[in-house]
Amino acid sequence: MTSHFYLLGGPITPERLSWIEESLKFFFVKLNPENLLHHTKSKGSIFTFLLTGDALYSLQNPQTVPVWEIILSMPSVKIICDSKELELRGISAGRLKMKNPEQVIDRNSLALNGQPSFWKDVLKFARQHEQPVPSTVGYLQLESPYMHQSAHAALQYLDAGVEAHASVDLYAYLDGVHAGHLGQNPSECENIGTGLEAVNDKAQKKGLSCQMIACGRCAAARGYSTWDDGQGVVISTCSIKPFRIRNLKEIIDQFERNHVILAKDSAYIHLKKEGQSSSTTKSEDERKPPITILVTRRPYGTEMAFGAISFAVACAYEGIQTRVIFIEDGVYALMGDHKLEKGTHFFNLQEVVDAVAGSKNLQFFVFQPSLTLRGISKNRKLNAVLDIGIPELGQLLFYPPNGVSASHQRVIFF
Amino acid sequence: MTSEPAEIPDFSNLTCTSLMIRLKILLKKAGPDTPVECIVRRDQRDTIDVPFSHTGYDVKIWKMDNNRYRVSLMKKPGSDP
Repeated sequence: MTSHFYLLGGPITPERLSWIEESLKFFFVKLNPENLLHHTKSKGSIFTFLLTGDALYSLQNPQTVPVWEIILSMPSVKIICDSKELELRGISAGRLKMKNPEQVIDRNSLALNGQPSFWKDVLKFARQHEQPVPSTVGYLQLESPYMHQSAHAALQYLDAGVEAHASVDLYAYLDGVHAGHLGQNPSECENIGTGLEAVNDKAQKKGLSCQMIACGRCAAARGYSTWDDGQGVVISTCSIKPFRIRNLKEIIDQFERNHVILAKDSAYIHLKKEGQSSSTTKSEDERKPPITILVTRRPYGTEMAFGAISFAVACAYEGIQTRVIFIEDGVYALMGDHKLEKGTHFFNLQEVVDAVAGSKNLQFFVFQPSLTLRGISKNRKLNAVLDIGIPELGQLLFYPPNGVSASHQRVIFF
Repeated sequence: MTSEPAEIPDFSNLTCTSLMIRLKILLKKAGPDTPVECIVRRDQRDTIDVPFSHTGYDVKIWKMDNNRYRVSLMKKPGSDP
């Protein structure tokens, strides 16, 4: 089975689901037409959508249900829902399930405690793609706990990983660093800090590795002071014990490895191997999984767009083939001519894109339909950002960049 | 009366990624014969030295003290970094 999967936890707008649908059509019609001829439901799925949190509303939204119906009419596509989150929200997947009973799964596997666990199902996907089974699963956390459910999802994913005897990594970036703040004491929800410490303890007892690395720039900006003890050990008094506040490079070093790394909204795209070249002839850089970063948020209002570009620059610098696609509201970063007050510490995003475009391993694209939908156009000066439509998006998602021999591509939505 | 030399920006508090972005912006703005200078830490010096010298820049580094370095970057003639 060569399958690709999306983990989606944020809201799925009609726009998002539509470009996903179009890219799947491109995959089946242009890249893999044989799947259309030999459509057998008994085979494993080629695309699986793992839906949790607010993404589940798309199963009931009259604007997105018809798009899901089209997606489910394609060969070997499956949706696995987080049953607890469906119940919590009172969402019914009934309409889609009635038409596609084998493709819409609203019951989850049982965890060791006998309770259904969506994250156990996620783990099955995160661990099935390598031979031998990869020993590590990772999660990139971008949002703060309590305000956002994604920190709770990260915790459950890591816990399910340890339960499945996988080593686990948490990479905390942007507001994600708050997940490791010392002394969290929520009265109405699960304590994320204590939960992460428990995951770490559990992993250690099982002889598994558990790394929790927070980006130093993000942590410093948010008041997490650190100091060097003189022997190269960075110490922080405001983070939980397993958390290590380090240079972003240390997080990117983990992205050079081959394990599956998920995020609140992310995808794992299996890459076809072109020929069978000897593994000894492949350079280290060729084996690093490429990454596609989707900038989906407006610039400036949050740190997401700058954080995405900064993360991309760091990945490219470490030899990871990196593509940045401005899509959905992310295209506003390219509209008009941005001007920044002199002397300000912040970056003009257009200036950043213009300056780093052309760097080794780094490419920028803008999804033209997102510009059209908003009635805007790209700043002409940004000629290093290439316009793309559905065919190019499909190629970027499903074809490896030149010279890459990694087994999969990571797609992270910022 | 002597004119004040232009102040060299101190980038030693920047992370390596931010430093890289900042320098690329400054180099883009600088003319072909204008060097971009800054003060950096030791680990930042390593981040700058190899990648910039391999991509069409003339890199000069002076040690100021134990963990402070003055760096000068200039586009090499004929290069298109």
